[in-house]
Amino acid sequence: MILIIGGFAQGKLHYVEQHYVQREDRQEVPVLDGTLRLASDSKITWATESAVETMPGKQTEQPTGRQTAGPQVIVNHLHRYIREQLRQGTDPEAMIANFYKEYPDCILICDEIGNGIVPMEAEERTYRECTGRILEGLAAQADEVVRVVCGIGQKIK
Amino acid sequence: MMILILGGSGSGKSAYAEDYLLRTAGDKKKYYIATMQIWDEEMQAKVDRHHRLRQGKGFTTIEQPTALEQAASQMEPEAAVLLECMSNLAANEMFSREQPVDRETVIAKILQGIEVLRKRADPLVIVTNNVFEDGIAYDSATIEYIEALGRVNERLAVEADEVVEVVAGIPQRIKPGSPGAKAQNWQDSRG
Repeated sequence: MILIIGGFAQGKLHYVEQHYVQREDRQEVPVLDGTLRLASDSKITWATESAVETMPGKQTEQPTGRQTAGPQVIVNHLHRYIREQLRQGTDPEAMIANFYKEYPDCILICDEIGNGIVPMEAEERTYRECTGRILEGLAAQADEVVRVVCGIGQKIK
Repeated sequence: MMILILGGSGSGKSAYAEDYLLRTAGDKKKYYIATMQIWDEEMQAKVDRHHRLRQGKGFTTIEQPTALEQAASQMEPEAAVLLECMSNLAANEMFSREQPVDRETVIAKILQGIEVLRKRADPLVIVTNNVFEDGIAYDSATIEYIEALGRVNERLAVEADEVVEVVAGIPQRIKPGSPGAKAQNWQDSRG
C-alpha cells in the first residue's frame, strides 16, 4: 500500500498517474472516488488529463518506467470517504484497514486537512482528528508515503 | 532561472525570496513586482512592512495587481525580478471584475504573463502561498480560486529550476530533490 498525502488541488492524482501508472496500464487501473466500493465495471477516471499539458513549448515529464504490474486500485479523495462514514456513524478506520488487506497493492490518496485553525463545530473537529489518526495508522503500515506539494512528490517514508 | 518559493502566512518566505534574489542578481537591475491591491489599513501596514524590509536593497517597485505581462515593458531587458505574490495575483485576476473570471481563463492569463516576464527576467523569483491544507469546505467561488492557484503552482513547479518550501523561516528545497527524497517507481517501492 502506498499513501499519497497533500493539500487540496496539489496535483496528487496527476502525480500518481505520472509516477505509478504506465500509459498502457491506464485502462486497467480503477480509480475510486471517495469510496471503497470496487464494482466489477469501475471505470478509470483520469480527470486530470487536461492538467497534464504544460506551458507552451515544453513537454510533460514522461512517467517513470515500471515494468511490473502496477497498482491494483487507486482510491482518490479518501478524506471524503472518511467524512461520509463519520456522518453515517460507521467506523472508517476498520473499513479502510479491511480494504488495504484485500488490495495490498493499492494507492490511497488523501487530502491534508489538518493545517488550519481548529474549527468551532464538533463535527468538523472530529473529522480532522479522525482523518489525522487514520493517516497516522496508514502511514505506519504503508510501504511508501509521499507528500505532494505543487505537483512535486517528497517521499517521506 | 525561475525559482518558485512556497510558504504559509508568516513563514518567512518573503525574506527568503529577497535574500535569494540579492544573492543571484549580480549586476542586474532588481525589480519587485507587487501584486497586492490595497483596500484597507491592514493591507497598507503589510505593504509598509515589506517596503521597510526592502529599503536600501536597490529594488525598483512595479505595482502590478493584474495583467502581469505589462510589467515587462517597464523593465530593462536584463532584469532580476521578484514577484510577490501569486496568491494575490490570482485573486485579483479572478475577482477584480463584476463577475468572477472562470478558472481556466485565470490560469491561462497568469501563465502567459509569466512567459512574457521570463523573456526579460533572469532570475525570476516567484513567491506563492500555501492555502491548501485547512480542509475547510469553502463556497464554490473560493474553491475555484484555490483550484486555480493550485494549478498555477503546479504548472510553475514543472517549469521552475528550483522549488523551495519555507517553514518557520527554514527553506526546504523540494526541487531538484535529493536522490533519497524522490519517489521511487513501483517495483522499487514494492521491493
